[in-house]
Amino acid sequence: MSELDILFYILSSMSVLFGALVVLTSSPIYSSLYLVMSMLSVAGIFMTLNAPFIAGIQIIVYAGAVLVLFVMVLMLFDLKRETKAFTKGRFSGFLKLVGAGLLCGFIAGAAYESVSLIMATSEEIPTNIAAAAETGFSPTTNSIKEISKLLFTKYLFAFEVLGLLLLVVPIGAVALSRVAGGTHAKH
Amino acid sequence: MQSTEALVSVGLNHYLVLSALLFTIGSLGVLLRKNMIVILMSIELMLNAVNISFVAFATYLDNLDGKIMVLFVMTIAAAEAAVGLALAVNIFKNFREVNIRFFEHLRG
Repeated sequence: MSELDILFYILSSMSVLFGALVVLTSSPIYSSLYLVMSMLSVAGIFMTLNAPFIAGIQIIVYAGAVLVLFVMVLMLFDLKRETKAFTKGRFSGFLKLVGAGLLCGFIAGAAYESVSLIMATSEEIPTNIAAAAETGFSPTTNSIKEISKLLFTKYLFAFEVLGLLLLVVPIGAVALSRVAGGTHAKH
Repeated sequence: MQSTEALVSVGLNHYLVLSALLFTIGSLGVLLRKNMIVILMSIELMLNAVNISFVAFATYLDNLDGKIMVLFVMTIAAAEAAVGLALAVNIFKNFREVNIRFFEHLRG
């Protein structure tokens, strides 16, 4: 059990704990705080996966931009009157819990099986899992350079479409949150 | 048979199981909560879980496509949060509460 393993266990337990707290806390502002903590743990997990660029993007975009958006929108609302945070219905709630548990089991089981399958056919993959497992991690040097090369060659069309989406989304958000008559509209 | 050493030392399986756990927590949040903001946060959790499995596969297969997908997923998540929060603001303006059950009363 190496240091990286211990780091993984600490970070993963933190992310799961704070993720559970996001769902369980009744106050949305605390939920957003726990969500920040969970995102930061996930960024640490990306670091253990030898992906520092993705970890940085995770911190900047999620903890920096998206969560600030959440908190600023929360400030618009009157939060004192949230009495019942969870949906009603014991039976349906039980069904939802059971369904989510089954989903988790199925995903984990399928992941486990698929990993064994990939391990079995790892000769067909050029740089395979087995080699990566022996050395710990594959030496992906210059990761950012490689990622940007791929982004501007193979995925250029998707990248441009994403730019278009980012143009459309603020317009849509403004159009949605704008009510005729401004903030003092009568209903 | 796997020894305890193979179970304890971290591999691809561990990351996928963590991803499944986080995804389940996020889906439970979507199913059980009534506040729309918290539901959006749970969706962010689910997208994060997917990102973990993307990066884990990208690292262990030494293939950078997964990391590109993570960039795309993050962009879509930010866009989705913006639109969802705009809808939440709209709901709050109309009903003075951000409950998900008012969603069906939104018009136009």
